[in-house]
Amino acid sequence: MMINIPKKPKPSLLSVLGYPFAFLFSIYSFFQIGFNLEDFRRNLQNRRLVTDPLFDPKWEWAVENATAALIETIQIAILASILGCFIALPLSFYASKATNQTTITYYIYKSFLNFIRTIPDLFWAMLFTVAVGLGPFAGVLALIMFSMAIMGKLLSETIDSIDLGPLEAAKSSGAKHNQAVFSSALPQILPNFTAYFLYIFELCIRASVILGLVGAGGVGRIIETQRIFLRFDRISPIIVLILFAVIAIEQFSVWLRRKIL
Amino acid sequence: MNIPEQPISQKVLKYLLTILIVAASIWSASGLEVTPERFFEAPSKIWILISAMFPLDLSSEAIERIVPKVGESLFIAWAGTVIGALFSFPISFLAANNVTFNLLNRFTKQVLNIIRAFPELILAFVFLPITGLGPLTGTLAVGIHSIGTLGKLSSEVIEGIDDGPLEAIKASGGSKISELLFGVIPQVMPTVVSYWLYRFEINLRASAVLGVVGAGGVGAELINQLRFRDFPRAGTVLVVTIAMVLIVDTISAAIRKRIIKGRDIKV
Amino acid sequence: MIEFKNVSVTYPGGVKALDNVSLKIEKGDFLIIVGMSGAGKSTLLRTVNNLVKPTNGEVLVDSKNVTNASKKELKEIRSDVGMIFQTFNLVNRSSVLKNVLTGRLSQVSSIRSILGLWPQEDKQIAFEALNKVEILEKAYVRGSNLSGGQQQRVGIARALAQKPKVMLADEPVASLDPITSRVVMKYLKEINQELGITTIVNLHFLDLAKEFGERLIGLKEGKLVYDGKVGDVSDQDFENIYGRAIKASDMLGNDD
Repeated sequence: MMINIPKKPKPSLLSVLGYPFAFLFSIYSFFQIGFNLEDFRRNLQNRRLVTDPLFDPKWEWAVENATAALIETIQIAILASILGCFIALPLSFYASKATNQTTITYYIYKSFLNFIRTIPDLFWAMLFTVAVGLGPFAGVLALIMFSMAIMGKLLSETIDSIDLGPLEAAKSSGAKHNQAVFSSALPQILPNFTAYFLYIFELCIRASVILGLVGAGGVGRIIETQRIFLRFDRISPIIVLILFAVIAIEQFSVWLRRKIL
Repeated sequence: MNIPEQPISQKVLKYLLTILIVAASIWSASGLEVTPERFFEAPSKIWILISAMFPLDLSSEAIERIVPKVGESLFIAWAGTVIGALFSFPISFLAANNVTFNLLNRFTKQVLNIIRAFPELILAFVFLPITGLGPLTGTLAVGIHSIGTLGKLSSEVIEGIDDGPLEAIKASGGSKISELLFGVIPQVMPTVVSYWLYRFEINLRASAVLGVVGAGGVGAELINQLRFRDFPRAGTVLVVTIAMVLIVDTISAAIRKRIIKGRDIKV
Repeated sequence: MIEFKNVSVTYPGGVKALDNVSLKIEKGDFLIIVGMSGAGKSTLLRTVNNLVKPTNGEVLVDSKNVTNASKKELKEIRSDVGMIFQTFNLVNRSSVLKNVLTGRLSQVSSIRSILGLWPQEDKQIAFEALNKVEILEKAYVRGSNLSGGQQQRVGIARALAQKPKVMLADEPVASLDPITSRVVMKYLKEINQELGITTIVNLHFLDLAKEFGERLIGLKEGKLVYDGKVGDVSDQDFENIYGRAIKASDMLGNDD
């Protein structure tokens, strides 16, 4: 039976180039990293340097010396996420085409938010410790940048897809642009804002743990000093304490999320 | 006229939340000895630092040191993402409650949660004495953390599929494996791959930072330059890093968009 | 060709979907089943390929016992039974061709199908199936880019690609407009007449049943309450099957 079999469409450029490139690049990367089986085996013998003390946790020491730092870590996260997210709230409206019709300012705010996103949180911390000095304040500033970056992206994308109807309605009844946004657009995204805020708060807690490594406050400093002396017996209880704190906070935020959303 | 009142519970909730946020901020700020004046002084201090970075150090010596390190961060991020993607894919099936039985998927999910809880840096810590200084440690840290996050995200995608096509395959005599391969996988792949790419973007930032503990990448460069107060060179490190991140982000975002949208074949 | 022997189905939770249904269907029959929602139509259909296993009784297809078949036998029986669904059940992200080829899965080795190396003859079967429902030109278009009627045609092609002896259609036109519905029913009728495939269709549109049916089965609360030629069916018979007066929503109507 003669039938007209349609021609198979040519594979897209992306799939033709993409897969081989990804494969080759992966091999190249592993090669560059220099995975050496001999070295690996030799170093594996060192694992007892880590595993032995790891399973001999010094709880007393940890609780005595690390609790204050842990509280500091949490405080950094709280302050930074609150400030960062609330600053990002108005910025996001400016970075969205839906609520900011002025092309120039739109691009300025959008680029600003994109730019902040490109710098890793620890880099911010390093820069701030140099600018404002060592200590938790630098950490707070760094995480404010971190929170702004994430909230800015998430929120502006949400604003991009809101229902423009209420906004138009408000404007057509004579409201000024800012009034209209405040009364009609803001309420629409508040649930998202709250969800993002809780998410960012959790991220900040984890990021804050590390800040101490570069002297920006929190429990990271203690972990680093102990690591240099290979005191994993002190590090492991600290990590467990951190885990508890993180899980407790996560449960709290899940509970909170259920209550308000 | 009977004007209805805003329901009490909502009012109370809003009130409580505001108090909670303000109280938490004040508690934190005082504990950290952070005052509003410090916030006001901060911008000028930052400006001093930034202006000290210009003009950037673009000498060949600087470039020769910095670019390979930035490249190293790229390789670590890519290799780590590959490890994460490869291992998380089968694991995500184990963790999906519509693929495996209850005990197994809950157990797997918990394991993934535990892995996820450790930031890459902490993992790098633990690996350092074993795998030594250098990019291998960084790759392992990034890779293993990625297995955790990708595993959870992928399992959620699998749990959200439409099981209609699976029924159709079953009805035509296909095996359970056929259902998986021709029903589940085509449905989840686009979203899963876009998650892999997004993870790559994030891992790039993580790997830049890992250098701080000596696990490879450009972080060590930056912290050294800052410590030695060689600001122009530090500035170069920043600029090159930002450039790379921007390029990767843009390409990755474009690819992700295309994957989700799919190709339009006009007939 | 198909025989239901005292088939009863009780779902966990106590719902009795089918109550002692006995029925014989000859090869090449075109059977339409009507009844209210929940009367047991979908369940009855699914006992034919054992997607639903009867709690009592058995179903025979081509003299083979479906209900008690081993896994291997069941797969063989299923590959001879094609099924189309109300929600089409296409893999949206895959192309039309790929969807139709899944109908050949039971005949092709696993490795070849995974790698996408379908044998030429299977591809040819798929193309011919698509041609039969006049949608061949869309072979490489993505499933989700088609209209509802087109998607159902692809569903029919997928079932046809199995080269089945039996065709089961579970409310195939419930989500389609009047014109498209009639097109789909026309294809099912043609396939039945030209290829001699025994066809069972679940419908809840009574006018459609009268238009296309030959033999009509009525189910009410899981029991077989009517079995006769479509020409002999009266409105009173329909009311008995439904247990109430006929409503406008029971008719598909025409496009105005």
